[in-house]
Amino acid sequence: MKKKVNYIVLVLALVVVSCDNGFDELNTNQTQSISLEPALILNNAIINSSPNAVQLNYELPIVQQLTSPNTGVLEGGNFNKNNTNSSIGNWRDYYRNVIRYTTDVISRTSSDPALSNLMNKARIIQANAFMVITDTYGSIPYDQGGGGFVDQVFFPTYQTQEAVYDGIIQELKDAADALDAAKASNTDVLYNGDIAKWKKFGYSLLLRAGMRLSKVNQTKAEETVADAFAGGVILSNADNAVIRHDGNYSNATANVLNSTEAANFYLAAPFVDALKNNADPRLPVIAIRYVGATSGSGQVPGVGTYDPADQFGLPMGSTDGEADISGATLPGGGTRYAYSQLDRRRMAKPTSPLFIVTAAQNNLLLAEARFRGWINSGNAVDYFSAGIKAHMDQMVSYDPNCAVASGDRDTYSDAMVTTFAGNELQQINYEYWIASLLNGQEAWANFRRSGFPQLAVNPFPGKAVDFILRLPYPPNEILVNTANVQAAIDEQGPDELDTRVWWDVEP
Amino acid sequence: MFFLVFQYTVVSGGVYRTSISPPLPQQNTITGKVTDENGEAFPGVNVIVKGTSTGTVTNADGMYSLTVPAEANTLVFSFVGYFLQEVSIDGKTTINVSLLPDVKSLDEVVVTALGIEKSAKSLGYATSKIDGKELTENRSPNMMNTLQGKIAGVNISSMATGPGGTSKIRIRGQSSIGGTNSPLIVVNGVPIDNTNFGTNQGNLGTDGSVASRGGGASTDGGDAFSSFNPDDIETMTVLKGATAAALYGSRAKDGVIMITTKSKGASQGLGISYNLNYTNDKILDFTDYQYEYGQGEYGGGPAAPNPSPNPNSGQWSFGRKIEPGMTQLLFDDDVVPYVAQRGILNKFYRQGQNLTNSISIASSGERGGINFSISNLDSKGVTPNNTFSRQTINLGFVHDLSSKLSVRGNINYSHEYNKNPPVVSDQDNSIPTSLYAMANTMPLKVLDENKYNAGGGEFNYSRFTNRTNPYWVLEEVKQNIRRDRLFGNFSFKYDLTNWLSVQGRAGQDYWSRDNDYINLPTGKASINSSSIFSAAAPGFYNGVFTQESRRFRETNYDFLITAAKDFNDFAVSVNAGGNQMRRRMDVNSVQVTDFVVKDLYTVQNGRAKDPTYDLIERGVNSLYAMAEVNYKEIIYLNGTFRQDWFSTLSKEKNTIPYFSLSTSYVFTESFSSKPAWLNFGKVRVAYAEVGSDSDVSPYSNVLYYGVNGQQFLGQAVGNFGLTVPNANLTPMKVAETEVGLELKMFDSRVNVDLALYRKLTTDQIVDATISDASGFTTTKINSGKSENKGIEMMVNIVPVKTEALQWDFTFTGAYNKTKVLSLLTDTPGSNITVGQHVFNGWVQQIVGEEMGQIVGYGYLRNDEGQKIFGANGLPLRTAQPIPFGSALAKWTGGFLNSFTFKGITASFLIDFKLGGKMLSGTNFNAYRHGLHKDTLFGREGGTLDGNGNDPGFVVGEGVNEAGTENTAGAKAEDYYSVVRGAGLVEPIIYNAGYWKLRQINIGYDFTKFLPKGFPVKNVRLSFVANNVLMLKKWVPNIDPENFSYTSDNVVGLESPSVPTTRSMGFNLNVKF
Repeated sequence: MKKKVNYIVLVLALVVVSCDNGFDELNTNQTQSISLEPALILNNAIINSSPNAVQLNYELPIVQQLTSPNTGVLEGGNFNKNNTNSSIGNWRDYYRNVIRYTTDVISRTSSDPALSNLMNKARIIQANAFMVITDTYGSIPYDQGGGGFVDQVFFPTYQTQEAVYDGIIQELKDAADALDAAKASNTDVLYNGDIAKWKKFGYSLLLRAGMRLSKVNQTKAEETVADAFAGGVILSNADNAVIRHDGNYSNATANVLNSTEAANFYLAAPFVDALKNNADPRLPVIAIRYVGATSGSGQVPGVGTYDPADQFGLPMGSTDGEADISGATLPGGGTRYAYSQLDRRRMAKPTSPLFIVTAAQNNLLLAEARFRGWINSGNAVDYFSAGIKAHMDQMVSYDPNCAVASGDRDTYSDAMVTTFAGNELQQINYEYWIASLLNGQEAWANFRRSGFPQLAVNPFPGKAVDFILRLPYPPNEILVNTANVQAAIDEQGPDELDTRVWWDVEP
Repeated sequence: MFFLVFQYTVVSGGVYRTSISPPLPQQNTITGKVTDENGEAFPGVNVIVKGTSTGTVTNADGMYSLTVPAEANTLVFSFVGYFLQEVSIDGKTTINVSLLPDVKSLDEVVVTALGIEKSAKSLGYATSKIDGKELTENRSPNMMNTLQGKIAGVNISSMATGPGGTSKIRIRGQSSIGGTNSPLIVVNGVPIDNTNFGTNQGNLGTDGSVASRGGGASTDGGDAFSSFNPDDIETMTVLKGATAAALYGSRAKDGVIMITTKSKGASQGLGISYNLNYTNDKILDFTDYQYEYGQGEYGGGPAAPNPSPNPNSGQWSFGRKIEPGMTQLLFDDDVVPYVAQRGILNKFYRQGQNLTNSISIASSGERGGINFSISNLDSKGVTPNNTFSRQTINLGFVHDLSSKLSVRGNINYSHEYNKNPPVVSDQDNSIPTSLYAMANTMPLKVLDENKYNAGGGEFNYSRFTNRTNPYWVLEEVKQNIRRDRLFGNFSFKYDLTNWLSVQGRAGQDYWSRDNDYINLPTGKASINSSSIFSAAAPGFYNGVFTQESRRFRETNYDFLITAAKDFNDFAVSVNAGGNQMRRRMDVNSVQVTDFVVKDLYTVQNGRAKDPTYDLIERGVNSLYAMAEVNYKEIIYLNGTFRQDWFSTLSKEKNTIPYFSLSTSYVFTESFSSKPAWLNFGKVRVAYAEVGSDSDVSPYSNVLYYGVNGQQFLGQAVGNFGLTVPNANLTPMKVAETEVGLELKMFDSRVNVDLALYRKLTTDQIVDATISDASGFTTTKINSGKSENKGIEMMVNIVPVKTEALQWDFTFTGAYNKTKVLSLLTDTPGSNITVGQHVFNGWVQQIVGEEMGQIVGYGYLRNDEGQKIFGANGLPLRTAQPIPFGSALAKWTGGFLNSFTFKGITASFLIDFKLGGKMLSGTNFNAYRHGLHKDTLFGREGGTLDGNGNDPGFVVGEGVNEAGTENTAGAKAEDYYSVVRGAGLVEPIIYNAGYWKLRQINIGYDFTKFLPKGFPVKNVRLSFVANNVLMLKKWVPNIDPENFSYTSDNVVGLESPSVPTTRSMGFNLNVKF
């Protein structure tokens, strides 16, 4: 009997044990890998460096280029209000989708000299992301930012914007200097591995970072700008840092303008009026007005006009109800749906490119640097004119129908040059404003830095502040990283829309 | 205890007169007859001399004869299912006895963990047994919802999504901080899968629920229970505590629902049974909106004074004051009266119908039996395009192959087809959201007539284009879910000796589920603006279509050795065994966007394709043992041991042993005498530990890299997840202590079952939300600690018991409070966010607070509690989100009254859930869109605009920032939109409690009218009504049960979903 029992137990035990083969392998993911070429991760970071759709809620209305009369999800820069769902955008998108990826790339390449170009590309992409984040919020986690996996830092401490800029400038300089065309370079989705272009991109961001400090620390600004200029910046559209979106990796801003909110964003009156007043040849390629439209579905190309004289921007601060009424006064009648829009069928297709740094912007920054005497070669007015022309020429990359004729371009540029003397900073930064259309983060930062163009206060009665000077920290930070964010607020000032960031010294 | 005995002796000494009885002969023979409640002879009754093993059994005529020793003074008569009866011998030589049946039998047999059957009195922990009839007669649209309020400590939440929808079941509250709290479902001893396809938008934790692939709106895709035909269920046992469930180990930390299906006929020979059930569901409309001001914004109507062909305000009711004779211009020149449209929910939703037919054929004989059933369910949901059908086949059998070898098995096959399950808890493409926020003068008829614009696409009716026209959604948004499921198990048991047996068992649950979903139809006025779903490329039609197929398999192999032997007064039984569990799910999914041909939804027709494949595997190996010792069936001692090995954890940390101990003391059996009114009394004490890896998803210990499905500019793009992997996770641990008391008194007319428990869940695997600035959003850590404390009680009273009338009253109630003791740290106030409402509002776990805190911005107030207003007249909000209270109900239970009167049975159930809070998304929309009655204040008195429209002027009661009385006002629409704009959610936080008349059941047995010799043996007809009447609630405009989230991480965050329904119908049962 006992023997029989033992036998059965043995059989059962054998069954259990023999079925146990592969138990330890069960937890191996068979559809993913534990290692992956870091260059592919960098590609993801590059794609996500494209300006995000949040600019529609904040940056573009703040600089009064585009605005929406809608309350609810679209509130933000249009009414100078806080709208948490949007104001977290730059923080969320750049930390999660650029800094997370670049941190991974840097950590996996830093110990291999053969991969130094890959690492330095990642450092440049990362510096750009940190610049966007700090320009939006001020003090931010920098040294510990992105270290969730590599350093196991889940609740990073904050640094002042001054420290962040010191870091960014050092990183950009080191990375651009260290890029070496003689060394192996992986291909990438920005410059196909072209190290010379990457170097120019790095120094261009350095130029941008240097100019950013023009109000707060002229010495450092001058020194940085000189370094960047010496290194060589992007001065030709062929070298532009641009994300050429396609059907799979589409332009997030354009997606909004073509779908949910197609009928809810309009060119703002200050922008349209400015271009109209200056007979800007870019107006007819940027704007379209659906004459007599009374609904979103009435915004069909058949009733559209590109005639610059017939463009009317939506007055800032318009709400839906008020806009409906004033729309009736437009030629051809209609409601708010009849105001001029950024042409979503040409300028903002889901496959339209978005620019990070352009030759136009750099030329204009150099015009200012030369005017200030921070660089010693070239003429300010020549840089100014080159900047205008570069942006005119850049338009065609949105759509063949967006091309600006060279004659119109030169006429406009010549006209602007005639009034340049004596109005240098105003005109340079006015053009920078236009040249940064759809690169809202940069347009907003430069507007704050330079004070140009001079925009009127949004007349919306319920506005929280006259101008939005920074965005509040995300609620999630306040919830989970409470002590660190509080320390930053204590040091920087109230977590409000009108608290100035460090470089934005009150004039 | 001695003291008690002594006391009884004194009190009842006169009755028992043992000390003064005359001397008796050495031996004495007693004879007699035992009869049943009808006076018929009762064979097989045990007759023993109390306190000895001397005894006999009555013969076929109910007669017995027993020789008793001289010192014997009491005879005990017992039979399973009947009250035990003790009679003093007192010198008598003839003792005739009549036994009475005990409905709530003392010797009830309960199926416990692993399918082991045990006598109820031996259990040291609480269980609840539900008769299959409960599930079949009182059908509610969703099977499990029938039980709400009937089982102490079991909280079932109804979804209004019909028979294909999900049920949320919580036993003894919620203990997991961010993960799953769902009980394990076991069928005939073997676990089955309960993957939940409910919608859980905003769920930041990991609780195993599966969402539809992104894009479009979320629908309720159902759970495991929809595969069951309730008619196949013989009994259901709920194992509530860790002790009860300890033998199931890791997966049973939240209790177990054990289903036993029928495996043989109830009586000898052939039995055929037919059951017909029909219910009709009608939605309940609780909206109590304002109908004084109609469609429009800022005091202006949709059509005046500047006619607009589109009702752009469509979802706003901040328009003109409604006066007789007014008109509005809607869509293309449609002039319709500007009058209040009341009751639109009832106009839009139809009456749901559920028809179930089932036939079962069973037989039973000496060597076993068989039960075979087929059933068909056809259901029409209340949403006009929603249907659900289910066909099931069930085969169960038991058979003794020889005197030593027996086999039993069951196979269940079901085919389910859920067509267009309702979209719930979503803002876009959601019928409920559009309806609940519809402008109050918008006639549904006009919407129905204007679904399509001239181009064949959706005709906008609101500037808020996300709020789609519900009629357009009915026509265009389609989803088909088909599931085939085959589950069952076989077991062989061999008796080696009369005290030793071995059993081997193999079970499998296999299902395939095909889901094709037109997430976003072509022509939708607004398509999802996320970067994935863009407008169509030129020449293509926009839209998103997803086709997904899943295959799932869970296998369980186990063996069990059982030894049982009596040693004098002691009986010992020992079980030992092992289990190997494996699960694998394959998911193929293709999502396509942009279509070549309009309205043709195939993956070939899509321009951009995003195919994915996922493979998820996990396994648990276990060894376990259990021992029970009892002394004279008075004191029982039970111990279990189990060790689990988890595949999801790192090899060094993947195992955990745990044990349980329980004892049951039937104190009434230990007295030589007890008061006559006390029939039965038992105390129980138990302690158990359980470990679990349930909140760890496979592959989460290493950072895995993936390659994007699409290349960019011809180059590959890589990715990795937003969760920081953790290789150091160890199993979480549950330790539960429970004590209980069971009493049966006054001929079992007063019965009480009480349980107290304390459950400590430590080392919880928490999905901690971390700073975005770390680059990642979450990480899993072993850190959370929570404590559940609660009381469960069941009180059953039979106030009237006559031949004509019996009234049975049962109260079941439970109180549970769960406190978060520690998260990342144990500093009070430290917290993690586990869920997020569509807009503003979160669910957080906060150390020192009750679990499931609803958190959001409140009004900024001064020290006197007055609201503070800004210069713009809008209320200011608190600097930081504040907790408003726990969303978890603390009190749950019900009162069941049943009556039997001359063959008529009638019962009604009142149930309640109390003590929880909710954030109401429906009221959030009603507020900002001007439908909520609170928004009537300040509609007039504003500065007229250019058209003479009055946007209203609301001056909030409170102070300004300077501390003086607030005089600044704001336009009404701006004022009430602060819930959205500023995320100031305080006005929409409510008490989520309710009292409901849940169920009414009236039945009559027609059997006595059947002629003799008629082939039909038994006919029973019952009328049933479910969710009958709301007796009390606190939240306006909705049923507080109107939830469609199944995750605890978003508990209390309500979003518009299908209204709850009242279902009424009948059940006809015919036996041949």
